[in-house]
Amino acid sequence: MILVTGGAFQGKKEYVTRQFGILPQEMTDGAKCSWDELRQCRCLVHFHLFIKRMMEGQEDPSDLCEILMEENPDLIIVTNEVGYGIVPMERFEREYREKCGRICCEIAKEAVEVHRVICGIGQVIKRA
Amino acid sequence: MFILITGGSGSGKSEFAETQILRLSKEKRIYLATMKCFDEESKKRIARHRKMRAEKQFETVERYLNLKKADIPEGSSVLLECMSNLVANEMYDPEGAQEKAAEEILEGILHLKSRAKNVCVVTNEVFSDGEQYDDDTMRYLSYLGKINCEMAKMADEVYEVVYGIPLQRKGGQSR
Repeated sequence: MILVTGGAFQGKKEYVTRQFGILPQEMTDGAKCSWDELRQCRCLVHFHLFIKRMMEGQEDPSDLCEILMEENPDLIIVTNEVGYGIVPMERFEREYREKCGRICCEIAKEAVEVHRVICGIGQVIKRA
Repeated sequence: MFILITGGSGSGKSEFAETQILRLSKEKRIYLATMKCFDEESKKRIARHRKMRAEKQFETVERYLNLKKADIPEGSSVLLECMSNLVANEMYDPEGAQEKAAEEILEGILHLKSRAKNVCVVTNEVFSDGEQYDDDTMRYLSYLGKINCEMAKMADEVYEVVYGIPLQRKGGQSR
């Protein structure tokens, strides 16, 4: 698994195209994809929104890393780096940020590479 | 040794901080807890952190306010968590330092440094969602930001933790 993270609008997708040769139309969108699509895709963008959708549907995303490691271990995951702002007033928003962080910590641990993108510039922060 | 550790929420800062203290010290380890327990959610967070520390032999000392009065054994190793809570306590608690929060806390840090052999402080990156908040929250951001900058100046090492991966911002090879 490869994890690509960074703030919103930092050019993460363009970076993935440059780095891994995956075109935008080949990327699967976590904001709307199904579980089947997630299991079969090569690159998932908006991973944080997939987590959010699960939580909004009262599903517990805690095992997400484990499931992906088993069922789609070569996946490239692109996620917004949430959790760099003031802790939100709404409980759901707080739990969502926390959950995103924990899941991404697990994914980063399993991943062979972690890239972080700022201003369209990527930095490899882990290479196993 | 003074180490400052920052990162977003859920980024794995605590675990990394505990590892640092374990690496540095065989002597007495003090966990300086700054979070007031007032509801189910904070109870859960505290329980989670307590579990992580159970095996690591930390003595927990609770300190919500007035850091410079903290009772720190000479030569111990101290892990303070988390600066973001301490600033909020000093600002919003009726007995807190209010508008003197930043100065008071920085004096508290000097106090820790003068007593302990190793100090590790966990703080929080809360500055990057680009929203304009109410005056109080902006004041809170300015205090925490100032404290973070001042602590980083004093620190031997500064790390930003991204999903469990430490990025060294000061000390070692980076400047």
